[in-house]
Amino acid sequence: MNTLIAIAGIGIVAMIADILRIRKIIFPVAMAGLAIAAFTAVSDWNTNTRYFNDMMFFDNYAAAFSLLIVVIAIIWFVMAVPDLKTGNHYSDKSALVAFSLAGSVVMVSFSNLAMLFLGIEILSVSLYVLAASNKNNLLSNEAGFKYFIMGAFATGIFLFGVALIYGACGTFNLQEINAFVATNKSDLSGQMYTGVLLMIIGLSFKIAAAPFHFWAPDVYEGSPTTITAFMSTIVKVAAFGALYRLMAGCFSQINEWWTTVFIILSVVSMLVGNIMATRQSSFKRLLAFSSISHAGYMLLPLLTLSDLTGTSLLLYGAAYAFASIGIFSLVSVMSENDDESIDSLNGFAKSHPIKAILFSVLLLSLAGIPPLAGFMGKYYAFYAALKSGNTSIVLIAIISSLIGVYYYLQVIIAMYKPTGHTSASFRFTIYQNIVLWTCFLITLILGIFPQLIIGWL
Amino acid sequence: MESLLWIIPVLPFIGFLINGIFGNKVPRSLSGIIASVAVLGGFIVSLLLFISLLGDENLSFTSKYFTWFHVGDLKLDMAFMVDRLTSVMLLVITGVGFLIHVYSIGYMHDDKDYSRFFAYLNLFVFFMLLLVMGSNYVLMFVGWEGVGLCSYLLIGFWFTNNNFNDAAKKAFIMNRIGDLGFLLGMFLIYQTFGSLNFDEVHSNAMTYAYGQPVLTTITLLLFVGAMGKSAQIPLFTWLPDAMAGPTPVSALIHAATMVTAGIYMIVRANVLFTLSVFTPEFIAVIGLLTALLAAFIGLKQNDIKKVLAYSTVSQLGFMFVALGVGAYTTALFHVVTHAFFKGLLFLCAGSVIHAMGGEQDIRKMGGLSAKLPVTHLTFLIGTLAIAGLPPFAGFFSKDEILVKVFASSPWMYGALALASVLTAIYMFRLYFVTFKGQFRGSHHQEEHLHESPPSMTFPLIVLAILSALGGFIGIPEIFHAPNLISEYLAPVTHFSSSYSARAVSHETEIILLVSTLLFLLVAIWFVYNKYVKRQAIPEPDEDIAGFGKTLAGKFYVDEIYTYLIEKPLNAISGLGYKFIETGLIKGVVDGTAQVVGALGLGIRTIQTGKTGTYLFAMVIALIAFMVIKFMI
Repeated sequence: MNTLIAIAGIGIVAMIADILRIRKIIFPVAMAGLAIAAFTAVSDWNTNTRYFNDMMFFDNYAAAFSLLIVVIAIIWFVMAVPDLKTGNHYSDKSALVAFSLAGSVVMVSFSNLAMLFLGIEILSVSLYVLAASNKNNLLSNEAGFKYFIMGAFATGIFLFGVALIYGACGTFNLQEINAFVATNKSDLSGQMYTGVLLMIIGLSFKIAAAPFHFWAPDVYEGSPTTITAFMSTIVKVAAFGALYRLMAGCFSQINEWWTTVFIILSVVSMLVGNIMATRQSSFKRLLAFSSISHAGYMLLPLLTLSDLTGTSLLLYGAAYAFASIGIFSLVSVMSENDDESIDSLNGFAKSHPIKAILFSVLLLSLAGIPPLAGFMGKYYAFYAALKSGNTSIVLIAIISSLIGVYYYLQVIIAMYKPTGHTSASFRFTIYQNIVLWTCFLITLILGIFPQLIIGWL
Repeated sequence: MESLLWIIPVLPFIGFLINGIFGNKVPRSLSGIIASVAVLGGFIVSLLLFISLLGDENLSFTSKYFTWFHVGDLKLDMAFMVDRLTSVMLLVITGVGFLIHVYSIGYMHDDKDYSRFFAYLNLFVFFMLLLVMGSNYVLMFVGWEGVGLCSYLLIGFWFTNNNFNDAAKKAFIMNRIGDLGFLLGMFLIYQTFGSLNFDEVHSNAMTYAYGQPVLTTITLLLFVGAMGKSAQIPLFTWLPDAMAGPTPVSALIHAATMVTAGIYMIVRANVLFTLSVFTPEFIAVIGLLTALLAAFIGLKQNDIKKVLAYSTVSQLGFMFVALGVGAYTTALFHVVTHAFFKGLLFLCAGSVIHAMGGEQDIRKMGGLSAKLPVTHLTFLIGTLAIAGLPPFAGFFSKDEILVKVFASSPWMYGALALASVLTAIYMFRLYFVTFKGQFRGSHHQEEHLHESPPSMTFPLIVLAILSALGGFIGIPEIFHAPNLISEYLAPVTHFSSSYSARAVSHETEIILLVSTLLFLLVAIWFVYNKYVKRQAIPEPDEDIAGFGKTLAGKFYVDEIYTYLIEKPLNAISGLGYKFIETGLIKGVVDGTAQVVGALGLGIRTIQTGKTGTYLFAMVIALIAFMVIKFMI
């Protein structure tokens, strides 16, 4: 709970700083605030407190997901701060980011459907603005607008689902819904099932799972690169946290019914994401499709709810997010050159030999090559799916991750090709260096010691 | 004491990081010192551990750091365990390792990749320590692979020479064959006992009856691993080639430590081996054949390091014979003394090569005793020790092996005694040809001859003292003095010694001892006559004929392997390339890529960029889900 207050505090201080003209303090305050948030998330461990008449429930999953989100946010902030500072709206953008983070913390700690809806909206509305924050860029405006319209559409679907469920069982509270489902398991109405399906689809939009992914490539490509990094990491982790909490908290009794929905979402996401990614020439767009495919992999542990589900989601989320942020630090440098094509990376290995190795490692982690974090994430995700008996799904997952290896390697090959006609220069700031090394180290450590996360919950 | 364990391997690892990361930015004078001090620190801690283990028989230190892996029922801890067996190995690795590090400071001082050398050397020590300190088979395997890697890197240290690279690859590949055996053995252990921790596996195994087939399979597979690492027939040919590496590497890795890993592993798993039928006999026969074969080949080698290499193979054979007859502590005793005298001999050889400006052919040496007094004297001590003359170290350990072997099978004793006489012959031949007689090198070399710097002679002297006196830790029973090492190690093999307690009477032991000694003296006298009195020089390669030619050609084992394994493999892989690779796989892979590409084009048509289309697609998808869930 204090995590939420600390993060919201950052946003408020950022806005006041603008009025008092002390914008310099924003970054230190944000770092301090996030550090406090991380600390409070840790101190909430095993407390299991309910807040506001059981609107929110800080159990260990909430604490773990909050901590992961806050840690990703710290690294993200370090990466994004040079970009946030350019232009006139440093404090506004920082405040929006902080509110968006607050929304994501709500999403992983709700215990009432109304809170879940609020969390999603707090997260999304800030992001609509952030996506369009590069005011002078037509693409950025388009991205914000597209995201807003389609997001509103998805919210509508989600809210319709919530309403139907309320109609069926007369409550928003997770525990009460769960009890209702458990007692009336045999004769639940079609209204209830429709509600569940609509909520799943609403959240599928947030995690960018196919076939509700259409917004993702365009929005990812058009938004400022740092915001894209935010969307593809923090938003995804938060949405998965919410999805898991919802399914495990309310609907674990009717798990056979919704498993097929997840199977379809997962298979379609893996195939569409990976196949489309092979056809991209823009690095940013490639990452958008790859993030769709990762949503597909992350759905695998949800096929059965067991002890492993939460932890493997957490491990996968961490592995994916840290590798992605590290790679986005490269994309943000490429964005400064206004050339985000994969070919513009030619000659990169020659001019930045060590960085080329680090980025290759991060890309290989996303591709799932041992002994990196991405491999361990995939390993546990596949293992969880195998345990639930979905062998054929795991086979599809393995085939599609092979396709994944192809396009990640394409990027690595591009880096190691000699310089082509363009000789773009890449200027890394100290911030990006810190982010890159941190992500690299985390990727290595999690790959060798997955127990750090798996042994937790 | 537990809290100290991590220091031992971490110190050399830090040394590796410093020398490895900063490379040539580390001042030259400093990199060698850093590396040596790191190993010395480990030695001091090992000594403390050793002393504190002296008291209680069943004491062992275990320190668990974290759970490394937990999948299903398999739980692996990152944990170190030091019992008496480990502590002996620790002393050898860090003690002899330290001396060799110091020696390398002098030996490598002209090399441009000074810091890289020490980085590798420290990394090797780190992995070797991991190998002996790990508390489960997996950690041991990590160390096992790690030392293999370092051995590869160090054999090919001078990578600009392609022959050296080939030697490195050969060592690596031969080791991989052995590793496969070890790995399969590990899988089978896990399947049988449900664990890979030493405690659990071994205490569980003790409840098994003697002669279970699964135990025989496990131990045979483990022994295949030991064959590779410890250069036994048929996987021994890599070790002589490994002499391509710098001489300190040969001393540290290919004489004193890594090659004895196989012996350590078998002693560690002695419960399994004791309970197995057939495997011990098999080990003894392989060891015996290796000891004989390598000793015969050693007779006709003219490269100073090659002679020592074959002698190492042969001595390792001795140790395996001891393991085969159940004399685990004796084998380890020989590991220790062998580390002393073979380390010493290699370092002396290095000193000679250093003085000769890189020359390794003993036919071009001779009469070096005057110019290299320290090297000469220490080499002589090493030769006396390896030949097994009292009171030098080799006498005690080799005698103990021979007696134990006699107790189990007299004919094996005979063959092994022959191998030990051969040892004396080739070693004294090496000594006389190198140090006595006239100098046969070029004039330029003669002027250049000099004794090595103190950093090189100091380790020689220390090792010479150890080679001379080290044997007294294991005095034979007939002298009524305590056999320190076998008493110290008794708890490790407690279970096994209750199984095979065959002993010979004191009279027999004395007869054996005296007769072996007599044979040795006759052999040495014969060599002395030939190479010193008659001043014979080993003939040039083209004049060698008859059986000698077969010996000089190393029994043509390499050539046999080429025809038996390499050529057929190449033929198969050629066929595979032609039909499976280009035909089948390439077709399937390219086909898949084309299908994926076409699919991508297809899906792409929906991704128009128009919001209206997207919304429409989403609604269609929503309806599709509805239909799937409610209509079908």
